[in-house]
Amino acid sequence: MKKILISPGEAAAFIIILMGAKAFLGYPRLVTEWGFTAGWLVVLLSGLLSIIFWLLIIGVFSRFPGKPLTEITELTMGSFLGLGINIIIFLYVIFVTSTILRLFSEASTLSVLTETPVNIIALLFLLAAWLAAYYGIEAIFRCAYFSFPLLSIGVILVLVLLYPYFDLRMLLPLTGAGIGPVLMSSVWGTSAFGEAVSLAYLARYFSFKPQILKNVGVFSISYIMLFFLAIVIVYQMVLPYPTSSETLVPFYQLSRSIFLGYYFQRVEAAFVIFWTFTAFLRISAGLLVAAIILQDTFKLPYYRPLLPALSLLIFTIAFTTDDLMQAVNLATEIDMVYGWIIIFIIPLLISLVALILRKGDRKANDS
Amino acid sequence: MKFLQKLGKNITKLIIFNDCKKQERFTIPDNNNSGDGNRNEKGNGKNNIRVKEAKKGKNSRGQIKRPVRVTKSSLSVREQELKKTEEEIKQKNFNFEELYVNPSLDVNKRYLDIIYSLPKNKDIIIREFYIALESPLKAFVLFIDGLSNADIINNSILKPLMVLLDEGIKIKHGEVAEYIKEHLLPGHDVKILNEYRQILDLVNYGNTAIFFEGSAQCLVVETKGWERRSVGRPEVEQVIMGPHEAFNETLRSNTALIRKALRNEQLITEMIKMGSRNRIDVAIMYLKDLVNPQLLEEVKRRISSIKTDYVGVSGVLEQFIEDSSVMFSPQILTTERPDRVVSFLVEGHVSIIVDGGPQVLIVPATLFSLMHSAEDYYLRYPYGNFLRVLRIFALFIASLTPAFYVSIVTFHQEMIPTELILTIVASHTTVPFPTIFEVFAMELAFELIREAGVRVPGVIGNTIGIVGALILGQAAVQAGIVSPILIIVIAITGLASFAIPNFSISFGFRGIRFIFTILAALFGILGISGGLFVLLLSLVNMKSFGVPFLAPVSPKAKTGPDVVLRGQLWSMEERAAYLKPLDKRRQPKISRGWLKNPQKGGEK
Repeated sequence: MKKILISPGEAAAFIIILMGAKAFLGYPRLVTEWGFTAGWLVVLLSGLLSIIFWLLIIGVFSRFPGKPLTEITELTMGSFLGLGINIIIFLYVIFVTSTILRLFSEASTLSVLTETPVNIIALLFLLAAWLAAYYGIEAIFRCAYFSFPLLSIGVILVLVLLYPYFDLRMLLPLTGAGIGPVLMSSVWGTSAFGEAVSLAYLARYFSFKPQILKNVGVFSISYIMLFFLAIVIVYQMVLPYPTSSETLVPFYQLSRSIFLGYYFQRVEAAFVIFWTFTAFLRISAGLLVAAIILQDTFKLPYYRPLLPALSLLIFTIAFTTDDLMQAVNLATEIDMVYGWIIIFIIPLLISLVALILRKGDRKANDS
Repeated sequence: MKFLQKLGKNITKLIIFNDCKKQERFTIPDNNNSGDGNRNEKGNGKNNIRVKEAKKGKNSRGQIKRPVRVTKSSLSVREQELKKTEEEIKQKNFNFEELYVNPSLDVNKRYLDIIYSLPKNKDIIIREFYIALESPLKAFVLFIDGLSNADIINNSILKPLMVLLDEGIKIKHGEVAEYIKEHLLPGHDVKILNEYRQILDLVNYGNTAIFFEGSAQCLVVETKGWERRSVGRPEVEQVIMGPHEAFNETLRSNTALIRKALRNEQLITEMIKMGSRNRIDVAIMYLKDLVNPQLLEEVKRRISSIKTDYVGVSGVLEQFIEDSSVMFSPQILTTERPDRVVSFLVEGHVSIIVDGGPQVLIVPATLFSLMHSAEDYYLRYPYGNFLRVLRIFALFIASLTPAFYVSIVTFHQEMIPTELILTIVASHTTVPFPTIFEVFAMELAFELIREAGVRVPGVIGNTIGIVGALILGQAAVQAGIVSPILIIVIAITGLASFAIPNFSISFGFRGIRFIFTILAALFGILGISGGLFVLLLSLVNMKSFGVPFLAPVSPKAKTGPDVVLRGQLWSMEERAAYLKPLDKRRQPKISRGWLKNPQKGGEK
């Protein structure tokens, strides 16, 4: 089999895009809902908490160098319990990818293709994702690495072009919904950075050591935290609360607000190219990660034959909800409010068990 | 007296018998052509002269020589041998891989008669003669008329062997070829060979083979001399600054052009034969102390492994050795400029030259190298970069402009300022077709004009371009078939596609713009975004001889400042790491010696 080796830069770009995709969906609105004018504070605190979670998880990871989290789970929890946990993780990834597919398809219908049926748009996303996953992990990581600077420039451009509407007063009061709700929602908000744990599931493809993997995770979470902060702050400065808590596609709304004279207005369609490109990458990455987790869980030699079935599964789950509002609510409930339990708490428990039972290679840990 | 009569009888018998057998030898019926006897007649005539001379006991220069004694038994053995040979050749089904030169000149001639279908094959010449040694030695030369230089054959082969020899030269049995090579032939490239496969390859390439009676070796003299095109100007990769030489169809001219520009003893030219029918030479050129051995091995492995009957030009070989033949982009760089080849060789690339084609292949290629032009380096740093930026714009315009036009007009009208949208709508009112149909019709018309302009002779080609572009476009607008704005869109797209320096990748991007246009017509900007995603995926997935196509950007690799834009020449200190060259450094940290400051450490 061809050896695939991913560099730290490619891994970081992949994870940043994986996490950052939600900035184009309802994330800025959600944190505004949670923290009111202190939505940015929710982002900051949840980002810092996610870094702590990541450091705890990666601590045990170094005891199993080169092994993916699915294997570590089985080694630590036993084959039966390990299998069960891995299946839960797999189902969660499938669910999140389905909600992302639905929300991006709905966002496209709302913004640029108002007369196209949403399932046709979802099919387009899924076909591209299938092709990308078929090309393989190397292609998706490199695609993310290549497009990362361009996507970053696109986002920065939208934020900068909105400068005539910046109003710092919109961020007051600084504590927003109050200390208690802000702290509480900061814990839920860690779900937004949960994709960083995907690195642990793809460990066998990396050309670098666990120590560098730790740095990649910390860098990715920090980078995207700053991006989320910038987007949420601009969003809250441009669209005052409570209007900012009612927009379904906040980033599109932001790009639509750009007006720099007669010849530079209504350019939201031009920026659609950035967030839809991210959507393609995000859905592909979700499909790929789900396929790799399933492959590792059941010790399958290849994951490519799984792709048609997984694509169909994602498509079906995406359209189980009747309308957009139901999809948004479900995504908020499962993905954001409870997602952190599956993403961070389960790996932390596994780490704890590994430490208690002294599982793993102590020499590797010591070195 | 009886004794003298008997002796005279025997001598007469011997001579008549010999003559008879010689005639017989030259009239062996040929399966391929029984009616042609010109060559035989010539041979007979010549033989008769020789026999008469033998009767007189003199050689061709009037010197007295001993007649060759040929017995009945020896001739029958020879006949048997000839028949056996014929059978062997038939059994081998004309596969001459294991056929060796026979000491008997007759056998060799029979071999060649069968191999070349003589005397049917009129441009294959076998010229028999006697080498004027103390004991005249029969020989013949084999060459192809029109492919070999007749003057060289006459003056450097036949004349020295037939006329200019010193008297009384004796050659030991079995050393004929060696002696003649070392003492008698003045040719600059003379080889001693005994394998027919090698001999035939060289003769088919314009060399002349000399076979000798009694020798199992053959001399092959370099006598290439066919009509060839001289070194001309580049037709596809023209530059304003820089050399104006281009490759031609002759391999040796092409290798010489490269050697002329790269005067380095480390420059190696290896040859590989290709094509079971045309047996063409493929040259692999590289710098021995620079090229990555694994890359070189891979190039040789791919070329050597090809089993096909015909490889005519580099374009055919390219399709055999490229990593993916369905991708829109080439993975091998093709150039007609020697200076371009040299610039790649000094970076650690490998060049492949196919005899018969004026294009040279360079491997590995990356997307960025395909977007570079020779002139980028000949112009000053800012100008070179300006051209590169212009070309990148051209790339995007060539592939995306019609798609954006279709998507904006069909789905995202809000992006267009009011006055402009009113103009577009007004121009569309007379057009009875949907935008996508208009775009495809005009794109198709443009491609037709381009193709027609290329295929027809020069002056008419230009006329077709003008007629097509101006009159057809104007007429289409006036007829209300297409809108005037679309003409501008198509014209800009066409111009941009011609600004892409590599012909092959320009073709690729011209092709994918049709796919983008369809996607835009179906899904607007979302479709374009999806197309870009798949395009990028395929680009990152492509490899050229093991090197990722988007290197050194994705995956990132250390290289000099010469990727999208180029740095100043003095800052290009290192070679591209993705090539893994044996010598990574091109120049010292301070390459401009006149800036050397000894107090700050100076030169590396």
